[in-house]
Amino acid sequence: MFTANTTLMLVATFLPLLGALVLLLVPKDQRRVFEIGSLLVMIASFLLSAIFWFAYDRTSDAVQWAHAWNWIPAIGVKFSVGMDGISLLLWLLTTFIGPIAIACSFSSITERHKEYYIWMLVLQTAMLGVFITQDMFLFYLFWEVMLVPMYFLIAIWGGPQKLYAAIKLFLYTLAGGVLMLVAILAIYFLQHQATGAYDFSLASFQAMAPIIAQQSKTYQILLALAFFIGFAIKVPMFPFHTWLPDAHVQAPTAGSVILAAILLKMGTYGFVRFLLPILPDATKMLLKPFLILSLIGIIYGALVAMIQKDMKKLVAYSSVSHLGICMLGLFALNPYGIKGGMLQMINHGISTSGLFLAVGVVYERRHTRMIADFGGLSKNMPIYATIFMIMTMSSLGLPLLNGFIGEGVVLMGAFQAFPWAAVVATLGIILGAAYLLWMYQRVMFGSITPVNEKMADLNLREVLYFAPLVVVAFWIGMYPKPVMDVMDAPVKKLVEQITPGFHAAQALAAQQAAAAKVGMQGMAAPAHHEESAPAGHEAAPAGHEAPVHETPAPETHGHGGGH
Amino acid sequence: MTAASHPSSYLWLIPFLPFFGFLINGLSGRKLRNTKVVDFFALGSVGVAFLLTLWHFIQLAGLPADGRSLHQTLWTWFDVGGARVLGGLTTYKVAWAYKFDVLSGCMALLVSGAGFLIHLFSTGYMAEERNDGRYYRFMAYLNLFVFSMLNLVLGANILMMFLGWEGVGLCSYLLIGFYFEKEFAAVAGKKAFVTNRIGDFGFMLGFFLIFQVFGTLDYDTLMGSVRGIATLPAITLYGHTASPTWWFNVIGCCLFVGAMGKSAQIPLYVWLPDAMAGPTPVSALIHAATMVTSGLYMITRLNFIYVNAPVALAVVLAFGSLTAFVAATMGLAQYDIKKVLAYSTVSQLGFMFMGMGAGAFSAGMFHVFTHAFFKASLFLGSGAVIAACHHEQDMRNMGGLKKLMPITAMSMILATFAIAGIFPFSGFFSKDEILWKVFEGWYQHGHYTGPTLNLVAWILGMLGAFCTAFYMTRLIAMTFYGNYRGAGDDPYNLTVQSEAHGHDDHAAHGHGGHDAHDAHGAHAHAAVHEDHAHELDQAHNHHTDNPEDHDFVAGHHPHEVSWRMWLPVAILAGLAVVGGFLNYPESLHRILPIVPAELFSKWIEPLLYQTAPVHHGEHVPPAIEYGLMAWATLVWAPAAMGLAWWIYKVDPSWSRAKAFVARFPNLYRWVNAKYYVDEFYEAALIEPIKRFSAQLWSFDTWVVDGMVNGAARVTLLWARLSHWIDEYLVDGTVDLVEYIVQETSQVFRGVQSGRVQHYAFVMILGFLVIAFWKFLV
Repeated sequence: MFTANTTLMLVATFLPLLGALVLLLVPKDQRRVFEIGSLLVMIASFLLSAIFWFAYDRTSDAVQWAHAWNWIPAIGVKFSVGMDGISLLLWLLTTFIGPIAIACSFSSITERHKEYYIWMLVLQTAMLGVFITQDMFLFYLFWEVMLVPMYFLIAIWGGPQKLYAAIKLFLYTLAGGVLMLVAILAIYFLQHQATGAYDFSLASFQAMAPIIAQQSKTYQILLALAFFIGFAIKVPMFPFHTWLPDAHVQAPTAGSVILAAILLKMGTYGFVRFLLPILPDATKMLLKPFLILSLIGIIYGALVAMIQKDMKKLVAYSSVSHLGICMLGLFALNPYGIKGGMLQMINHGISTSGLFLAVGVVYERRHTRMIADFGGLSKNMPIYATIFMIMTMSSLGLPLLNGFIGEGVVLMGAFQAFPWAAVVATLGIILGAAYLLWMYQRVMFGSITPVNEKMADLNLREVLYFAPLVVVAFWIGMYPKPVMDVMDAPVKKLVEQITPGFHAAQALAAQQAAAAKVGMQGMAAPAHHEESAPAGHEAAPAGHEAPVHETPAPETHGHGGGH
Repeated sequence: MTAASHPSSYLWLIPFLPFFGFLINGLSGRKLRNTKVVDFFALGSVGVAFLLTLWHFIQLAGLPADGRSLHQTLWTWFDVGGARVLGGLTTYKVAWAYKFDVLSGCMALLVSGAGFLIHLFSTGYMAEERNDGRYYRFMAYLNLFVFSMLNLVLGANILMMFLGWEGVGLCSYLLIGFYFEKEFAAVAGKKAFVTNRIGDFGFMLGFFLIFQVFGTLDYDTLMGSVRGIATLPAITLYGHTASPTWWFNVIGCCLFVGAMGKSAQIPLYVWLPDAMAGPTPVSALIHAATMVTSGLYMITRLNFIYVNAPVALAVVLAFGSLTAFVAATMGLAQYDIKKVLAYSTVSQLGFMFMGMGAGAFSAGMFHVFTHAFFKASLFLGSGAVIAACHHEQDMRNMGGLKKLMPITAMSMILATFAIAGIFPFSGFFSKDEILWKVFEGWYQHGHYTGPTLNLVAWILGMLGAFCTAFYMTRLIAMTFYGNYRGAGDDPYNLTVQSEAHGHDDHAAHGHGGHDAHDAHGAHAHAAVHEDHAHELDQAHNHHTDNPEDHDFVAGHHPHEVSWRMWLPVAILAGLAVVGGFLNYPESLHRILPIVPAELFSKWIEPLLYQTAPVHHGEHVPPAIEYGLMAWATLVWAPAAMGLAWWIYKVDPSWSRAKAFVARFPNLYRWVNAKYYVDEFYEAALIEPIKRFSAQLWSFDTWVVDGMVNGAARVTLLWARLSHWIDEYLVDGTVDLVEYIVQETSQVFRGVQSGRVQHYAFVMILGFLVIAFWKFLV
């Protein structure tokens, strides 16, 4: 029963929706039932999804557990599902964040519990659906459906300006979605012209890449721009980001968590899944402006975050900065960049969720999020201080924690392709340390006021919902290899789709292995250099094919040890 | 040829033992009532790590010189896949791996050894924290620091070094801000972290470029392939073709920016003096002996880049010598005992960089070790003094402590001789070696960096050395000689209301008030508090649990601290005295062969990139070498020490110093204010960034979001317009049609009379009209 297959994947995806339907039947004064019930559903969904982590075949770049049912045959729409490593990671991130978002709502949601938890569950299924579909029509459907529960979550349980924020979020992203729909339809009809078939499947769209590449430049650029704006609003990239701070500030804690961890990833996922493989040539044509927007996002988001007075707004702007790093990685168009960008999506999901939860904790206790209202909390909230510190460090990219791996790999990838961009982005990382530590200092350090002194440290429930985030942050920081391995094959495929022949270059592995054997012995001056110039760099070259001058003699020595 | 590296199975324990100590103390320390358990794990883990390091070191020494390397790979840290680099596609996997070789072995000994001593010192120094529930936190942070620092030095690739590099930065941040309720400490911690991040910016770009050129970050692979790459005719990256030297220069300069941050060089040194807000053991361990030398370690580790990068070396030499001099002058006019030592550290680090810049990596590295000995001793000694003087840090409020704290005083005086470079103390062998190498570089027409720079650097270095000897003697004279001014015995009115007091302050000192002498006997056995004491009676050293008072009572004098505190100071001072003989100069060995010559240089030599042996210029005549040595140690340093002695000891009213200040008020003001560098950064960098951010935010609110809201408003306007059009035009048209129909129907209603004859008439009329029209057309 519990083997990874399409059915189980669908069960895990639709279980929250099912749970929502069941909860509909419960009378609305049963608060506990909604809380515990939805938590259990989310946990069950997560446990089921975890099976796929182990079952995933990491050597294959194919879409796994794929299946398609005819849905609207007349226009070629299929209910087509399946996952590759890229979607699997985000799908798992969603099921992972789900229970945490529920658990953090127990005390923060004080009214209309029934609707709240039902909307949360519906939202969860909609988001999970986005990551498993392999059909453009279905994708668009999930993509838009997801907005509805999010709208209600903000509009009902949000802060003072909740309606403004909710409508802004809805309309802004809807506008992007419509642009995307136009692009999808354009490709759909182009495909009909080229092949005579009506087909919405992702594979057939990706197969259109060479045909699109033959179209006029304007056509390609317009298509790419339509996709770009659609996704860029969701990410959000500068200058499409202004809905984000409003939505975050107004949303309840769980809403912010889901918004940051998952919803924004829809945009980045869209880039990886659609823009890059379907329109590689057009992307390359527009790469400079895309990169520049990413870089502006990194620096601009960080600078604006620095002077925020509201903690939540600060974290929201930090998201703009972090997602700029994601996008920079994706636009580097090489394995380091894309893998780093993907990993950074996960990391942002972990660390920014953690930061929003941390803000939520003090908000629940003091009903304010203004930095100036706090100070010295380390004194009476040591556990909170530790967890907040870990999340801060994870967010600013400290090694041993997840953020470093993502950022570092993105920057390395960007440096391979566009060193100037990496230089600018690295500057942004300095600012990251500045605004996060400044916030931490003002909230946690310094002298404490009597009001704040009464604030209680984390209770067990709070520790429990932070714990998974902390564990994953350390896990990805210390041993990210399994995560990298999952996306290895799909990213390789993607890079080949963008730059055919990328991996065909001469491999340096053998040469490096030989050099590694020489090691320290390569430091000694070789005898034949006796008469050469000072630093040896004017000597007759040996060519790069043979950077190792002395091939090491066969090693017959035993191991060092204690002789 | 022997194997270049040997596997070792227990290497991982060296860094991980302190990590386990950190985990145990960090997770359970809060619940432990008995802080001795915390001590056990904290000291035990570092102590065993030290023994393990020693064991590995002995193993290493048994290996042939070109194979002195042990390594252990724990797991693949991350594997990103293919990357296009110079020459092809690399599939480099970053391993979590350790490498114990001639350089990292020495560093690991230093880190774990000095780390252990400083842990021991902390058990005494932090005694007051034992009761307020954060002692465990301090010890856990210290352990975490040792773990990070050991990762930094033992890591087998640049990313492992970076892991440690950032880790020590974090610990530094946490420990500087240990008294986080003090605004100043919290700000200083953040300043250290952010300033270091600026350095990291350069470091990261440096190793990104290394990766682009070499396709790897493993030391072994780098070392094995560097000669091939350095001898390429040209390297083309990003469409830019240049000689390997050009690329190596860029790499070297970028990496040096990182070193500037971590090792506190101009212009990024500003965080180190502020870092003195941390508890004194932290200053000794992190900000003197180990962490701040990371930059030096990194340059030595990657010396093969620098040897091939003359411009980068020149940059290192220039900044190093400038820092050595400028920071030394800043130390001249400080009164906070820790600040003097802080600027001294910055200056000494400058000396080390000078050595590296002159291409004398082993000399620079040797100074790292000797400096660790004497500076850690001085810092710990100052910590003991501060503790004994009730957390007083201003030297004007001290004095006369030599009689009261003889062991601490003797240790610090010996360490002062070492730092001043008096023969045969260790500083003589390391610092004068550096100055000598710089001088030699000049004499040989700029071995690497050009003659003028070497000469200027040498002059700056000599001046810096003069200042060093001066301010250290000043420190000793002010602290240990004259009267103890803290208790009111102040005939020359030298004491001040201390500003420094409290920077490294413990929380409230809530002890009862009784005299140490009486208290000891009475409470030595009955004491149950863990509250630690600064005992006078050394015979009762093992009774460390007696509550004592350190309130400011007139006439109450400080006394020697407990063995937990003076022992580390004394051991380090001892090392500072004899440590220099580990690198006994060849030239001295010729006339005075008491110990083998250049042990350290020869030990580290296999790791240093050897260019083909080419002679530049001429050899310096031995007479000059001996002459300079004698000059430095017999004339130059003693002159500085004598001058300080004459000003601050011989005349206990310091009237000569006061006269000097009165004569040159502006000079004094600038030096005392540290040339207003902090103020300059604040005004030229931090404030503009804040202002710019505020402007950006307005831009975001009014322009970017304004466009969105504007779009919404325009849409609404359109909606209103449409509504109006709908109501008045569209619907109006409909209404109009209706109206017209209604009105016209009035006319036609008459026509529709219902009478057949009327209809017949109209029919005929119509027929006639059509017929007529047909006829006409």
